[in-house]
Amino acid sequence: MRDERCTLIVASLLLLPGVLAARDIHYGAVASDAVAACDTVAWRGQSAADCYREILGSDAAAAAKAEAAWALGDRQAANELFRAATSANPDDTTALVRWGDLYAASHQEAEALEMYREALAADPANAYAKLGAAHVLAGRFASEAGLYLESILSSNVPDGARVGAQLLTARIALENGDTRLAAQSLDEAEALIREHDWPPLDAHALRAALDLDAGVEDNAWIRRALDYNPAWGNVYAIPAHFLIIKRRYREGIDLFQRAVDIEPGLASAHEQLGINLLRDNQVSRARRHIEAAYAEDPFSPRVVNTLRLLDSFSDFRLVESRGADGDVPIILRLHKTERDVLAPYATDLVRESIAEFTSRYDFTLTEPVIVEMYPDHDDFAVRTAGMPGLGILGATFGYVIAMDSPSGRSVEEFQWGTTLWHEMAHVFTLEATDHRVPRWFSEGVSVYEEWRSGPSRGVRLSHMVLDKMRDDAFLPINRLDEGFIRPTYEGQVIVSYMQAGLICRFIDQQYGEGKLAAMLVDWRDGAATPAVIERVLGVDTDAFDDAFGRALDAEFGTLLASLDDWREKRKQLTRAVDNKDWQGVATIASELITLMPGHVTSNSPYLVLADAQRELGKTGAARATLETYWQKGGYEVGALGTLVRELRAAGANDKALAVHARINLIDPLNAELHGEYGELLLAAGQPQQALREFEVALALAPHDMATAWYRMAEARMALGEKAKAQANLLEALDIAPNFRPAQKLLLKLAGSQ
Amino acid sequence: MSNCMRQLLPCIALSIASAMACAEKTIVIVEGLGGEPRFVQGFAEQVDAIETASGKLVPPEQLQVFRNADAQRDAIMAYFETLAAESSPGDELLLYLVGHGSYDDHHYKFNLAGPDLTGEDIAGLLDAQAANVQVFVNTGSASGALGEMLERDGRILLLATRSGRERHATRFGTYLADAFVNEFADTNKNASVSAGEAFRFAERQVADFYERHNQLATEHPQLIGAMADRVVLARFTSAADATTDDALAALLVERQTMNADIEALRLRRETMAADDYHAALLEKMLALAMLEDRIEAQQEALQNAR
Repeated sequence: MRDERCTLIVASLLLLPGVLAARDIHYGAVASDAVAACDTVAWRGQSAADCYREILGSDAAAAAKAEAAWALGDRQAANELFRAATSANPDDTTALVRWGDLYAASHQEAEALEMYREALAADPANAYAKLGAAHVLAGRFASEAGLYLESILSSNVPDGARVGAQLLTARIALENGDTRLAAQSLDEAEALIREHDWPPLDAHALRAALDLDAGVEDNAWIRRALDYNPAWGNVYAIPAHFLIIKRRYREGIDLFQRAVDIEPGLASAHEQLGINLLRDNQVSRARRHIEAAYAEDPFSPRVVNTLRLLDSFSDFRLVESRGADGDVPIILRLHKTERDVLAPYATDLVRESIAEFTSRYDFTLTEPVIVEMYPDHDDFAVRTAGMPGLGILGATFGYVIAMDSPSGRSVEEFQWGTTLWHEMAHVFTLEATDHRVPRWFSEGVSVYEEWRSGPSRGVRLSHMVLDKMRDDAFLPINRLDEGFIRPTYEGQVIVSYMQAGLICRFIDQQYGEGKLAAMLVDWRDGAATPAVIERVLGVDTDAFDDAFGRALDAEFGTLLASLDDWREKRKQLTRAVDNKDWQGVATIASELITLMPGHVTSNSPYLVLADAQRELGKTGAARATLETYWQKGGYEVGALGTLVRELRAAGANDKALAVHARINLIDPLNAELHGEYGELLLAAGQPQQALREFEVALALAPHDMATAWYRMAEARMALGEKAKAQANLLEALDIAPNFRPAQKLLLKLAGSQ
Repeated sequence: MSNCMRQLLPCIALSIASAMACAEKTIVIVEGLGGEPRFVQGFAEQVDAIETASGKLVPPEQLQVFRNADAQRDAIMAYFETLAAESSPGDELLLYLVGHGSYDDHHYKFNLAGPDLTGEDIAGLLDAQAANVQVFVNTGSASGALGEMLERDGRILLLATRSGRERHATRFGTYLADAFVNEFADTNKNASVSAGEAFRFAERQVADFYERHNQLATEHPQLIGAMADRVVLARFTSAADATTDDALAALLVERQTMNADIEALRLRRETMAADDYHAALLEKMLALAMLEDRIEAQQEALQNAR
């Protein structure tokens, strides 16, 4: 099945006939009156097949026949007819734009964009081409969509294109949480729709979404849409989309289910229902709908990718931890090759985070927490968005977390423990608010908890973030969500994460502990950001922004003023390293640390300073530098490994143990480090913990299996488990009969029995 | 065979491969051009490690190192010409090439100052040796190109890449050198590292490196040839374990017998019930452990007597 799907996905999507997909309402984009007449019937939910067939059998223009073939589900014929239409009349940009619409509806957005651009090259004022391009770009959450829409709405264009633009504007506004603009755009669209007697279905569905956003229980717009067309599934699917955007997955699932109930052939709704059921851990039900989507439309990359992912689930294993009485269970879905390595640490970390956040946010989880870790990043991306190529490390859908496993990324760029901690904070902010928390606050709390209570603590801001802070590019709190959903410059999503983290930190430190938890309560009750800020913090958002800005100035002003100086010193540092001028290196690195004590991310001056101190023979100072680096949240595994060795050499085993624990949350796949950690634990009189490390080392199938078994035996001896110790020793000696330490332990064991 | 007398213990330990035991062992190490400082330093460190380890295996006259100005094609070829005239079939030859290699889809070259050493040169100088056991180690880029050319009965090849088309600088040499000093490379805990152990250790480290750094692996080491676990590349204990003490010699012979007995038991494992196997193994391991106590005690007594 997997191979077959792989083959299908690379084939041209338009080669095969029979893909049944309803055509969207086109608001006059089609020139043919005959087609428009059939469409009017179809959009009422009545069968128009004969009507379309009549066009196909007539001597109508090729473009009209293409529309008819498309409506009948024969996309291959539609494709050929559009080709014929545009060949016969190269100046007919109307047919070219509709051809692009066919491609867009067939998951070939890039080709569609090319056609729209071609149409615009021939007819720069073609509003339907601009609208098509805007639709494709908006589907990618690309801000360029807005440029096309502005161009349409500021020009004298056909009413149909204006309606389409207003509806799309409303859609984007709803995604951004701007309900006022959404309502205003809908007002204007509806007036034109009424004037032309076009179907009001899209507008009704968007109105329904607005009502849902406002918490209106009795949704009259859905009833009105169903009166117009009782089989139009999008009346549920469109509002569901906005619920999903706001991470209200279960409510979205309910609506998608209704959509397919009244329109069983609506592939896109089956697809979204399946993907979101997976987010709710309803795997079997999800598979049914993904397969239904595949049956209706086998060319959706999201569907094909998700089916492949579901096939791969057979390589994963579930590990359940029930915990103590009153604890929620923790269920891990881990790849079979990593289960024994990751399960102990992931379970402990999740349990620890639950204890921390339950107390801090005054909210108790009520369902099992499910954590999935994917060794293949593209699997995680498909799990999260249905498509590969996602740039994030983890995603939380409520009680379900999906993330990269440590082997999914390099140790330099990924701290799996910190990511899991971040995602666990999302579980609390989402569930405590019934998924009504705004994105900025949920991300802000997660980032802040990374810094405050996570495995690698300390505020870590990149230079890009500092640059934006200096350039006053932080968004007002009211608009911070836009930075996540529709970024306007490269890197804005990261900047928004950090700004949100700084805001939550500011609230916690400035307004007092408990305020963040109090804000969650207000969001659960449906309040918007301005009201929450005002009620909980006692200031309006403008005043809050001012206060936050002043706090940033106070904390970072000196640093921001010296960023250029900092960069110059970095260059000096590089030159000094190249010249092996270790005294110079030490001096400059120390100055850099003074300027930015929290710089423990890549190219940290702490590491350069430690190297220089070592070169200068100041090993104690080098160790102290690395200790500071570690305490400030540094996570470069090589440096931490060096620190462990230096701490052990200095007899500081307690600190070495703490550093080892940090390493496990960054690089748990290194058998040697587990062995060393276990030996330290054993020496510290912690045989149970040592045994865990040795078991993990063994699960990693190290090169030296004899030592791995021997260490297990040592720990079991310390625990008084003599029979198991003997069995472990025999495993070691079976590999290495002359392994002297194992021989001695065997004799000792025999003597003690 | 004088070397054999000096190394009684290793000869006994290797007696299973009797054809190899007590052979005259010659080790040749060639350090190629590094180019960039980091490679120059890296190659020097690797050669240092290999030279140190080899020094514990053979007397100085059987260890030849070509590095810096000495690492010239003509000098190397001349050395091997002389060696060929003196070698006999029972000997062992270990040749290490540490440096960069290149391959143009037809010809392999090991980069030296002056004329490079070509694949044909290497094949010719090895083929000319009478030594029945030859270990050829090439830690550099494109070394895989030599696999087919050098493969021969009795010859063990440790190559950093699987083909000549893997042309990027390699990490294999770093890890191979580490195997010579890292006790974890010695998987059977006989205080020595065989060619097989060293290769598997380095191969695993190479794979781990690329995986942990999420990089596409640009090198895939390959081991060609049989009996790689029978040839020692490094020893962790001093070679001066030999004895003229009859009592100790008898104990060492007894240990050799026991090890053979244990080996025979392990070979029968698949035919035995698990409980029976473990019971038999336990009995033999306890006996071996007690024997080892006696050996240590005798060695200590001899030491004290001196």
